[in-house]
Amino acid sequence: MTLIMVVDDDQDLAEMLGIVLTGDGYQVDLVNRGDEVMSAFAMQNPDIVLLDVMLPGIDGVEVCRLIRTVSMVPIVMLTAKGDTQDVVAGLEAGADDYMVKPFNSSELLARLKVRLRRTGAQTSGGLSIGNIKIDQIAHSIIRDGQNIPLTRLEFDLLVALAKEPGRVFTREALLSEVWGYRPATDTRLVNVHIQRLRSKVERDVENPEIILTVRGAGYKAGVVGSSE
Amino acid sequence: MSSIFSGWRSSLVIRVTGTIVLISILIISFVGTLLYNRISTGIFDEKLHIAIADAQSTARSIELQLQFAKYQDRATVKMVANEILAVPAATDNSPAREVALFAYPNVRSTLISSGTSNLMMDTSIPKNLRLETRKSPSTKWERTRILYVSGRTEEAIAVGHVISVSNFGKYEFYVVYSLSQQTSTVKIIARSLLFAGGILIILIGFVTWVVLRRLIGPVREAARIAEELTAGDLDQRMDVAGTDEVARLGYAFNEMAVALKQQISRLENLSMLQQRFVSDVSHELRTPLTTIRMASQVIYGSKDGFDPATARSAELLISQIDRFESLLVDLLEVSRFDAQAAVMEVEEIDLVNLVRESIDYVHPSQERLITLTTESERLLVDVDKRRIQRILRNLITNAIDHREDAPIEVTIRENETVVAIGVRDYGIGFSSKDRASLFDRFWRADPARARTRGGTGLGLSIAMEDAKLHQGTLEAWGQPRRGAHFVLTLPKFAGGVVDSHPISVVPRGEQLTEREIGDL
Repeated sequence: MTLIMVVDDDQDLAEMLGIVLTGDGYQVDLVNRGDEVMSAFAMQNPDIVLLDVMLPGIDGVEVCRLIRTVSMVPIVMLTAKGDTQDVVAGLEAGADDYMVKPFNSSELLARLKVRLRRTGAQTSGGLSIGNIKIDQIAHSIIRDGQNIPLTRLEFDLLVALAKEPGRVFTREALLSEVWGYRPATDTRLVNVHIQRLRSKVERDVENPEIILTVRGAGYKAGVVGSSE
Repeated sequence: MSSIFSGWRSSLVIRVTGTIVLISILIISFVGTLLYNRISTGIFDEKLHIAIADAQSTARSIELQLQFAKYQDRATVKMVANEILAVPAATDNSPAREVALFAYPNVRSTLISSGTSNLMMDTSIPKNLRLETRKSPSTKWERTRILYVSGRTEEAIAVGHVISVSNFGKYEFYVVYSLSQQTSTVKIIARSLLFAGGILIILIGFVTWVVLRRLIGPVREAARIAEELTAGDLDQRMDVAGTDEVARLGYAFNEMAVALKQQISRLENLSMLQQRFVSDVSHELRTPLTTIRMASQVIYGSKDGFDPATARSAELLISQIDRFESLLVDLLEVSRFDAQAAVMEVEEIDLVNLVRESIDYVHPSQERLITLTTESERLLVDVDKRRIQRILRNLITNAIDHREDAPIEVTIRENETVVAIGVRDYGIGFSSKDRASLFDRFWRADPARARTRGGTGLGLSIAMEDAKLHQGTLEAWGQPRRGAHFVLTLPKFAGGVVDSHPISVVPRGEQLTEREIGDL
């Protein structure tokens, strides 16, 4: 059974989340304080974390950073502030997605489903993008013989680009492909994750060779061996 | 020439120094002329007194000699008479002193002959003086020039006197005194005065310039620093030393800069506090709202088991939570504008695509209710996509709400610097009176038919703020039953300004009516 860790200091909301998630067949673990997350995380090893930004103890962004040091588990931030700085801080700390309060139960469940799905329809043989080999079975990438760990979302993002090497993906297309929904304005989600992904896979983030920007349109995969 | 003129106009130092030098020249030449006149008159008067005294005593002594000689023989008289004209010629040390003796016309005696000393010409004695001298026995004088036969001339005073000797008759007697020494003295004095005056003027100019430069220096510094303060560098201060007036200017200036900085940071703090408040309110309201919404959805999900009234209540609960939320979102947005805390997230997007998306979003059905006219299929602009999308959705929603079954026209036009989007409907429109309050918060055109789509009443006000944030304009035109036209004009590139309007807010064919009504 899938275990969801819900971190929120608001007892009522946490309880409500518990009701909704349990009703949809998930197992729920509630945590009320930021500084209790890491010990609970180590004990429970959840499949996904729902994390409020404003928390007593340690704030959500910091908690997110701490989780990322030990795990690639999907993290969805819950924020009351739609403000840019807050959202971007969470995403930069390693959150895969975020939801602005107040949200719908159905929307929340849909997002969780996308984050929990296994990357389907694996093509036989390795995909590659730029100089990077993607091992879809082992869920990892190899650059210059080195294994680089990615979150599931980052992996999905890279695979989406690599599958159709010639195609220019708009931010909206990537949103629906990788995040599974399209609030068409929310392109910073894509921007921040592309930046994070680049910082992991590019040799020089300023001159990307693997994930190329197409001005005014979006992104596309770099050509194999383009750096040679 | 023009550079001097512009220097005169722009530099206080040049202007004041120039003025002071000009005034000094006037005063010094006036005083100099006065001095020169007094000195030369004094020198001349002194010489005149000496000359008159000398001429009188000479005349007296000649008279006495002749008086005495008339008792002697003729030869003696002749000798004495000749002695009169035997005057030593001028040397370097003693200036010329010539005499002239003229017998009255009625004198018959030839013992005393008329003549001049040292080959001076008769014309050296002015005619007027001779007339005056002959008229009365008193001593007369006049300025003249000594004319020698050789052609040499000299400045001089001629003093005339009548010598009258019984038996011999009356004679005009003149002594002419050269003024060469006086003239050269006066020349030296004039030259000294000119020289001193010149030096004085140069000194005055120089000192004025130096003093002004010292005084103006801090003023220039203050101007430079004021410019930097204006440019936003609030940490700029003047270097101040001492306690004089200039230093006080510096202190006062620096105090002003400090006060300015405090005031600005106070305002910044206020804005930050407001922003914090907005964000706190947002958080405090949103968390319970999330719980309410989720709870209402759970209730709504099992409404099939409720009686009709409870089921309908669950539906109303859901829809009112939506309305409450959009009102909250709009209010927070408005308060962000009020706190000037609205942040732009500019990116390069295809505006034509954005307009298409907005039309699809507001009006997803396939019937051709909305027609889009655009010159180009792709139009890249630097804008905050979320805000522009919000404006477009708002304008299109408004048009649909008020269209009265008539089609809606959306137009995109551009030029080099700006891009305009017009949304035109042929519905109920609005009166020119309403146009003034159209963008006011919570304003509704017609209370009787309000809330057809449950808008918050903040949409157009937010759209206007969003347009302003982009340095753009949002204009509205409307006529009752002729429809409405909203035009959003934006600079194409970040930092640009709206310098032209590719789409006129008054639709084609409506200008005439508009002119009749007059500009609002």
